[in-house]
Parts: sequence; structure tokens; C-alpha cells
Amino acid sequence: MQPSQEFSKAEKFWMNFKLYQLWRFVVLNLKILAAVYQSKRS
Amino acid sequence: MAKVVVIGAGFAGHTAALYLGSRLGKKHEITVISNRDVFGYVPSWVWVGIGHMKPEQTIFKLKPVYDKMHVKFVHAAAKEIHPDEGDQYVLGEEVGSGKEVRLDYDYLVVAPGPLLNFAGTPGLGPENGFTHSICSLPHAIKARDAYLALCERMKKGEQVKIVIGTGHPGATCQGAAFEYIVNIHKDLVKKGLRDKADILWLSNEPAVGDFGVNGVQIKRNGHVMRSEEFLTSVFNDHGIRYQVQSGVTKIEEGKIHWQNYEGEEGTTDFDFSMLIPQFKGQPFKYIGKDGEDISAKMVNPAGFVLVDGKYGLPYPELAQTPDAWPARYQNPTYKNVFAAGIAFAPPGPISKPFTNKNNLLIAPAPPRTGMVSGVIGRVVALNIADLIEKGEMTHSEPMTEMVAACIASMGDSLWDGNAVTIVMHPVVPDRKKFTNEFGRDLFTSHLEMGVSGAWMKFMLHHTFIWKFKALPGWKIIPE
Repeated sequence: MQPSQEFSKAEKFWMNFKLYQLWRFVVLNLKILAAVYQSKRS
Repeated sequence: MAKVVVIGAGFAGHTAALYLGSRLGKKHEITVISNRDVFGYVPSWVWVGIGHMKPEQTIFKLKPVYDKMHVKFVHAAAKEIHPDEGDQYVLGEEVGSGKEVRLDYDYLVVAPGPLLNFAGTPGLGPENGFTHSICSLPHAIKARDAYLALCERMKKGEQVKIVIGTGHPGATCQGAAFEYIVNIHKDLVKKGLRDKADILWLSNEPAVGDFGVNGVQIKRNGHVMRSEEFLTSVFNDHGIRYQVQSGVTKIEEGKIHWQNYEGEEGTTDFDFSMLIPQFKGQPFKYIGKDGEDISAKMVNPAGFVLVDGKYGLPYPELAQTPDAWPARYQNPTYKNVFAAGIAFAPPGPISKPFTNKNNLLIAPAPPRTGMVSGVIGRVVALNIADLIEKGEMTHSEPMTEMVAACIASMGDSLWDGNAVTIVMHPVVPDRKKFTNEFGRDLFTSHLEMGVSGAWMKFMLHHTFIWKFKALPGWKIIPE
């Protein structure tokens, strides 16, 4: 079974749009930090 | 003065050694025993395996770091552990001279990393088999040479078949294999050779994107997105075929034998294959004070060290019992023995196991590498320091509370590279704390593809090597 889903052209555009990706980079770092400090790191 | 011995200097053992050295090194005796005198940054061996990174960029000498942290380093392979009270010691064999080394301890951390059980699948592996591996640096170098030779054949017009995935029905570390397959895809695109290769993902996962952790789920624009649909899109987009629910049972030259959930037996041809082997615990001898074998008190049948988990629960019960997962990684019989990283025995699988009609158990083992290893190494080190200084432990972190990130890069360019970034929180679903059907925090969990992931991967390589060299501020960087 090989479903036919693929990324749309719009999704591919955002994956390579550097300004948006800079924003996602910041979000990702914040999410990791949030999750790390929500866990029991001490 | 207390004596602490750490067996192993990978993500778990090295992290434990750094924290122990930092807290206790000046007052107590901390010793690391390892059969390798270098630290290897395993996540970047994927790039070594396609010739995009020099092996020496992924390693550094351990002794200068330990000298700085007041940790003794013994370059020897541990062989025996004698944990009975009164005379507790580790016996090892010095690398090079073969001389016997005896290390007495008050506290022991067992963190030697996995035994790569290529023998568990006939014909598997680069030493006595027909497939490759990126699980050790020599293996990654060998895989690189074979892959580059394959590229030369493709340049001459030859069509080839590449198979990447897991080489045993109970293998883990699907994330590393996934990263390798997408890196190969990207590399072949850049070389203009992609049309010469038929690439197949062959895995023991119940579904694409499961990764041995029951998949990853996130909330985006009000909808729940699962890693299965996301990774399926990645494979379809890249023209990578995939076959999951399959346990590899045997390899012959150019031919992989497998069985699937339905019990069907089949073969897949290949010109180049990288399959992750089953991981087992290191085959140390555990010896009691009268010379008797006490392995049953220390390890499970696969050689992983028993710790403070609840063992023996059937999967449906385990999936609903987050407390079954160990929090302090302390052996229940020998309270001064701890296990960190892949060395501790998990209470069971995270993904749903499946036994087919031929009685073949196809069940990805829980991944316990990378961030998970580092976190456990820290928890164990801080608890040992607590026990020595205060007489009681104050730290705990089960995998049902731990966060883990996996960055599966596709190329190493910061301009047109790409990566799938996966963050799961917690690693093992906790259906009591997170009441959604997945048992995870759908807000902090993350699943995304883009060039930002390539930046993240680059940043992680450099920040982690900084941390592991114990350079200024190393403790601030999360494991």
C-alpha cells in the first residue's frame, strides 16, 4: 500500500522560504527549551 | 573518599562522567573505563556514511577532557563485574597491553552502549555479512566507501537497488536509518544520479513514521497530524518506496529475506544495503562473592541491566502504566549499581508488538540513544552525587516525562539542505497525564520539514561537541 499523499507546492515553498524558516527555527528552539524545562531537568 | 566507576564513554557514560567530575571530582575518585579513547558524536556518522563529513570531525580524545574534570580515564575493555558487598570491583583488559585492570568501586554506572548483534540475523553486517551499518565509526567509513563505489557504478549508467532500514525483527534506532535514507536520496539528487537508483525503506515498524515510539503526533491548525502521514509524504515526495511490518530474518549476497505481519516470506534484492542490527547488552560476566554467576540479579536475558522499572507487564497494561518506566535507573538488588543509556532494561516496547502466524515477534525496541541517553547519564550522576553528599537521591526522570528531539537531515547545506525535525514529549506516552489518545503533549511535540531543520542539525553538532568537551557553559546546554 503506497498512499498518494505528497507535499503541496505551497508547503514546499514554505519549506525553503528562508525568512519563514528563520521563524520556525526560533519556534523550534523555544519548543525544545519549553519541553526540557517542563520535564524534570534540575 | 568515595570511588565511582563509569563503564563506557558514549552519550550516557560521558555525560555521567562530566557531571560526576563537576560535582565530586575534586573530593572523590571518579574513573571512566572505556575500550575507546575517543568520544564519538554518533548522530553525525550519517554524514560520514555518505562522505559528507570527515570521520575526525565527529570524534575527540577523552583524556584531556577528563583531566580537566578531575576524572581518571582507563583505556580498557570491562569484562567482569563483581557487585557483592564487601568486595565490589570491575575487572577489565587494558587496550594494547592486554593487562588485567581492577577498579574497586562504591558506586558503579554501567553505560557501555549496545552490543551490535549482527549475529542475530545470519548474513547481516559489514564484518561477516553483506550489509552495511552506521552504528560505529569504522562501520560508517566502510559504508561510505561502499556507497561511493556504488555511485561510480551509477555514473557508468548502471541501475542499482538500495535498501535501508532495520535488519532484525526487534531492531531499534529507525531514526538513524531514516536519516541515512533521506541523505542518500538528497546526495544522489545533487550528483545527478537519483534516476539510477531504486531506493526502498524496509522496516519492522508497525507503520511508516512509527520510529519505535508509537509514532509522533502534533496539533497543527486545529488538526492532529501523525508522523505516519507526514513521513509517507516525505517518501512519496522523494520517490522512496517503503515496506514496513517486516522483520528481516536472513541476508544472502544481494538478497534480503524477510517475513511480514501476515506471515508471508519474501526476498528483496539489493546492490547496497544499510540495515540496523538488533541491540543487546554488553556480555559482561556478573560474578558473586563465591565465584557464582549472578547475571539473573543484574540483567535480563538480552543483557540489559535491570533497574527500577516494573517488568513483565503485558503490552496493553504497560501502555496504560507510565509508572512502570524506571525513574532512577538503579538496580533493585545492588543499590549502588546504576545503568544509563541503552544499557538499562526497558519494561517493554513503546510501539505495539506483533507476532505473526509463524511465531515471529516483530517489535521495534524502545530507542534509548541520543538525548535519552544523555538525560539518564545526568540523572544517574546527580543521584550518585546526592547519595555521597546527602545520603539520599533527589533526581528522577522516567522516559514518560522526558523530551527527545530527532533531526533527520537531508543534506548538510545550510542554504538548500533540509531536515525533518521531530520533537516528542514525552518519549513514552503517558496516557494518565496527557489525556488525548496518544498520551503526548501535542503542543510541544513537533514535526516539520524545512531548511530550519538543517540549521538545527548544524547547531546541534557544534553545541553538543562543545558540551561534551566540557567547554565553558556546557551545563547550560540541555542533553
